[in-house]
Amino acid sequence: MNAQIILVMIIGFAEGIAVGAGFVAFLSVLGIIPRLTQITKTRHLIRYYEWAIIVGAVIASWLSLRNPVLGLPRAIMVPIGLGAGVFIGMLAAALTEVLNVLPILTKRIGFIDKILLLLMAIVLGKVFGSLFHWTIFVDGGF
Amino acid sequence: MPADMIYLRLKQKIRVRPGAELTIGDLAQLIGEDELCKKIEKIIIHRINKKDKNLVVIDVMKVIKAIQNTSYVEVQIIGPTQTIIEVQISKKNLAPVYFVFIWLLLFIGAALAIMNFHEDVSMREVHQQIYKIVTGIDNPKPLLLQIPYSFGLGFGMILFFNHLFKKRFNEEPSPLEVEMFNYQQDLDQYVIVHEKQEDGTKDS
Repeated sequence: MNAQIILVMIIGFAEGIAVGAGFVAFLSVLGIIPRLTQITKTRHLIRYYEWAIIVGAVIASWLSLRNPVLGLPRAIMVPIGLGAGVFIGMLAAALTEVLNVLPILTKRIGFIDKILLLLMAIVLGKVFGSLFHWTIFVDGGF
Repeated sequence: MPADMIYLRLKQKIRVRPGAELTIGDLAQLIGEDELCKKIEKIIIHRINKKDKNLVVIDVMKVIKAIQNTSYVEVQIIGPTQTIIEVQISKKNLAPVYFVFIWLLLFIGAALAIMNFHEDVSMREVHQQIYKIVTGIDNPKPLLLQIPYSFGLGFGMILFFNHLFKKRFNEEPSPLEVEMFNYQQDLDQYVIVHEKQEDGTKDS
């Protein structure tokens, strides 16, 4: 019995290490945090950003595993949604598809000066696609 | 033993009009005795013709050969060993129709990609679960969370590319600009190696 408990704990811990390391590696590859520090010029605070990610990940994994009910007012969903959206937006922007496609595309067809407009097409497309998904698509279409 | 020596530095890249005559002065910076430099700068090294299309690579060896044909000097090379010459053929602008088409293509593609992403990572269930945890209410369509999320998505992308705050915050290049630069460098590198090979086979 005790051996079983210890084994399960070891397995859980090992899983956590693997997933946590993978998560951090994923974030590092995308370079969102360096990008944010670059924009805000807060390089010296990067330690705290690391901790923000660790604390956030631990709290969220606990919440998602245990499913407690916090019973907070509904209005709090707005900043949470906005924050989640900004993060996913940066993630989507950081993915190499966008970064690699645009230079080639603009160079090939000679739209170098209109790259901003094409970028806006992708940005607006994402916003539209997301809104469409949540308001219409989930109901099974029109 | 040559008494005179000049330092020569080729430019990485220059842009010229079709039919232009390129002198060494166009291609390179020279340091040395003034009169000698002036003489060397005037040497014509290449004439752009129809066959060149829009890219020409001039190797430093060709430049040195041309210099030594006219005067007996020692040439010290600094920097790049070839110059890429971009011939600016007046570009006919693509019709706006194409632009609109590509814009729509990207728009629809981006929309589809984000929907696929949401389905792929079960974003719907996650949102429902977050809503349940925070407010305690079961809501199959937590739009209060999802609509700010959608707008945040666009804002996050713009933030990442730093187009909003470009002027205000810093003069560092955005990731897109860096990526454009990298792509251009790869292209240049390819052109240099490729053209060199062609020249090699022609010479031998």
